[in-house]
Amino acid sequence: MTNANILPASTQSRLPWLFGAVIVLAAIWLLADLSLLSTLVEWLPYLGSGFLMNVLISLLAMAGGTVLGVVLGILELAPLKIVRYPVVFYVQVFRNAPHLVLIFATTYIFPFEIVVFGHYLPFPDWLKAVIGLAIPASAYVAEITRGAIQSIPTTQWEAAKGLGFSRLQALRWIILPQCARRSLPPWMNLFASITMASALASLVGVHELLHAATDASTAVRRLDFTVLAYVVVMTAFFILCYPISSLTRRLERRMKA
Amino acid sequence: MENSLLQAFIDWTGKIGLHYEFLASGYEAQIWRGGFITTLYLIVLLIPVSLAFGLLFAAMLTSGRKLISAPVRALIEITRNTPTLVQLMFSFLVLNTFVSNVLGGAQNNPLSPFFWVVAIVGLHVAALHADAIRAGIEAVPEQTVEAARAIGFSRLQILRFVEAPLAIRASLPAIVNNLINLVKLTTVGNAIAVSEITYASIMVWTQRDNVVELMIVILLFFSAINLTLARIGHWIEKRLAVPGFGVGS
Repeated sequence: MTNANILPASTQSRLPWLFGAVIVLAAIWLLADLSLLSTLVEWLPYLGSGFLMNVLISLLAMAGGTVLGVVLGILELAPLKIVRYPVVFYVQVFRNAPHLVLIFATTYIFPFEIVVFGHYLPFPDWLKAVIGLAIPASAYVAEITRGAIQSIPTTQWEAAKGLGFSRLQALRWIILPQCARRSLPPWMNLFASITMASALASLVGVHELLHAATDASTAVRRLDFTVLAYVVVMTAFFILCYPISSLTRRLERRMKA
Repeated sequence: MENSLLQAFIDWTGKIGLHYEFLASGYEAQIWRGGFITTLYLIVLLIPVSLAFGLLFAAMLTSGRKLISAPVRALIEITRNTPTLVQLMFSFLVLNTFVSNVLGGAQNNPLSPFFWVVAIVGLHVAALHADAIRAGIEAVPEQTVEAARAIGFSRLQILRFVEAPLAIRASLPAIVNNLINLVKLTTVGNAIAVSEITYASIMVWTQRDNVVELMIVILLFFSAINLTLARIGHWIEKRLAVPGFGVGS
């Protein structure tokens, strides 16, 4: 979660080329060994379904984490200590906890099915992983929101009060709309980081990309295919995360200027 | 004395429905203690490793020669945009197998899973450090460098006396952030059976079915380490603060 990384324009424009060169090299390697290519084509749908799971987990975790996190961020600035302290404690503990630990926690603590009005609903592992990632996401979003609210000059609160807005109305109509713009770059950073953390779900047996690649390489049992499978995994994550992070950098630079 | 304290803790937590009885048993308590020690050992080892390589990478990055800076740039982008777990699995399953094949069999391979965790997490965080230090060097005002040049400083002297001291101050918050990240990243060792705290905990809770109890301790453990790190970072920032420069002052 570091920001303030401004690349010189020359390297920025060269990187996609470098990346393109890697893809061309991989293509040549595949064409040189057609049996490898056919094995890869055979397994691609399986890997693709795994990657969809990664996308699903990260989107749901970010959606849940954002809703909860914005509320927590506002509560972190509540005037009442009895509200503020538990929220600050929650944010501190879960922001400092490794994602993997939280995924283990939700996976092993929650039951495998829940009873709602006498109906047994299954509670699948991937949903538990979503919750396990939504918890740290909410803690991060809370800090982002708190920072954004605090970055708005206090004179705006006073002006709103002078116009007859209540505290909540001022927050809703004047402060939060400005926060949304300011917190977009760190929020996108977090999104990329949660997307990458969704790979940790493979350790609790969720069928996602890394898990699929491990399955594929144990089934095929060829070292060159194993290499290729993991290169595909890395490439998939890179293609998803690189545009997000370069867009974030561009936004950050524009906001600073 | 120690045993009676432990017994009092077990009795007291038992009353509120938490089961820490395993702490009194020899074997599982020993596994768990070993997990904590391994995690702490990883952290203590990784902080200097990541800082040393971070400085090296930052020097390469700002050398001004494309041949030297391009590989580091590529490493930073790969590190930033792919999951650490995937990097670890890739190097353990692929690079480690290559090393084994070259040395003629896995029994000759001296590289342990522990080594791979240190190497991957260390390089990963070092790349993030390097980027932070580079941003710090770029944050040094142009006029300051010009002024140093005007009073006859050589390029090396400017780096040593002007750029480096200011860059370290500017990048310190980001470096502390990376170190906190590093502490959290040590848990990926779980994937390749390094017996750090999450791995040890799984061994305990499969026997005792006390996930909640272990989780409370683990969460407090990581919070304590990271809060301590943040405190130390903040203290150093304050000690080094130059009046009138940066946000730390």
